[in-house]
Amino acid sequence: MPKSVYGALAGLAVLVASGAVLAKEGSGGMPQLDPHSFAPQLVWLAVAFLALYLVMSRLAVPAISDTLDRRQAKIQGDLDAAEKANADTRGLVAAYDKKLADTREEARKLMRERAEADSAAATARLTALNDKLNAQIGEAEKRIAKQRDEVMAGLEQMAKDIGHEVYAKLSGQPADQTALAAKVAAAVKGGGR
Amino acid sequence: MHSPMEQFEIKRLLHLKILGVDASFTNSATWMVIAVILATAVFVYGMRQRALVPSRLQSVAELGYEFVAGMVRDNVGDGGKKYFPFILTLFIFILFCNVLGMVPYSFTPTSHIVVTFAMAAFVFIGVTIIGFAKQGLHFLSLFVPKGVPFALLLLLVPIEIISYFIRPFSLSIRLFANMLAGHTMLKVFGGFVVMLGVVGGWAPLAFIVVFTGLELLIAFLQAYVFAILTCLYLNDAVHLHH
Repeated sequence: MPKSVYGALAGLAVLVASGAVLAKEGSGGMPQLDPHSFAPQLVWLAVAFLALYLVMSRLAVPAISDTLDRRQAKIQGDLDAAEKANADTRGLVAAYDKKLADTREEARKLMRERAEADSAAATARLTALNDKLNAQIGEAEKRIAKQRDEVMAGLEQMAKDIGHEVYAKLSGQPADQTALAAKVAAAVKGGGR
Repeated sequence: MHSPMEQFEIKRLLHLKILGVDASFTNSATWMVIAVILATAVFVYGMRQRALVPSRLQSVAELGYEFVAGMVRDNVGDGGKKYFPFILTLFIFILFCNVLGMVPYSFTPTSHIVVTFAMAAFVFIGVTIIGFAKQGLHFLSLFVPKGVPFALLLLLVPIEIISYFIRPFSLSIRLFANMLAGHTMLKVFGGFVVMLGVVGGWAPLAFIVVFTGLELLIAFLQAYVFAILTCLYLNDAVHLHH
């Protein structure tokens, strides 16, 4: 509080000193000290101050505080909305990541199952085909052997007939059937020699 | 040469007498009314849109509001909310009167002790009434500093009482003397410019230019000081943690 005391004393000193100086100059003193000017100043001070007080308290303060409140609410609302949107986005991203991982896992599983099924089926098919081919090969071999035997049998008979014929033409008498047959059989067995 | 005090003379522009009281419309009243009209223009016309994104004038109004609101919040706390419109009016009225006084050929109502004293006395009486209304006789403990030996109290209590009652004088004289000194100084140096003429008048002219800037600062500062001291006094009355 001493500060304001000094301020007041200094102010009073200025006031008195300047008043005294002006009084000496003979200019009739400070206009501030003329009591006749007090009443009109006080009246109009009261009028002006009251008018401004009414303007401020009735119009300006409600308008400004309303505006500031609305701005604060709007900013807070926007911040909250942004926060919520951020959280939502984070949730969505997490859900998306999880879904992606699940789907990838599912796809891998399907692929594996499919590959296994495919290879089993292929093996089965291959085995069946192998068996069928083997059967066909066996049958064909049998057919070939039979035909060969038939051809061989025909060939023996033919050789016998030709031998008989040739013998008859050369010797002029019929060949001994039994000896010829033995000779032909021996030739066939000896690989045609 | 005109006296440097001539600028403070009250001139009656319109002679009026209401209920036997001299209520003449003077040059002082003119500038008070202009201050009120300009303040209304900023705070009511400027706020007419109540826009969430403020225009320039609305920003000025909001700036003034938030400046004083911060002052009241910091110095008085929640109990000061009721008095905020008054503090705001006080600050804006003094600020506009002071700054408009810097306009050449204008008049500064706050350069008259009767005006500043009336405001200071209103604040002083108001604060005292609020203090007794809120604290009762306990408000008198404002004059008794805590934790002081009894012997010292005999000395300190009268000092506290004097410093309390000197408040309206210090408050009003600070503002009045600042306005008076500044305007007188400008006028005196203006006189020097004329006296020294084209040859030497440049030096005081340069001083006036710089000093005008300082005076604008003081115009704001004194309004601020008046308002913040009112807040501090109000804080004593509302909270009493002296």
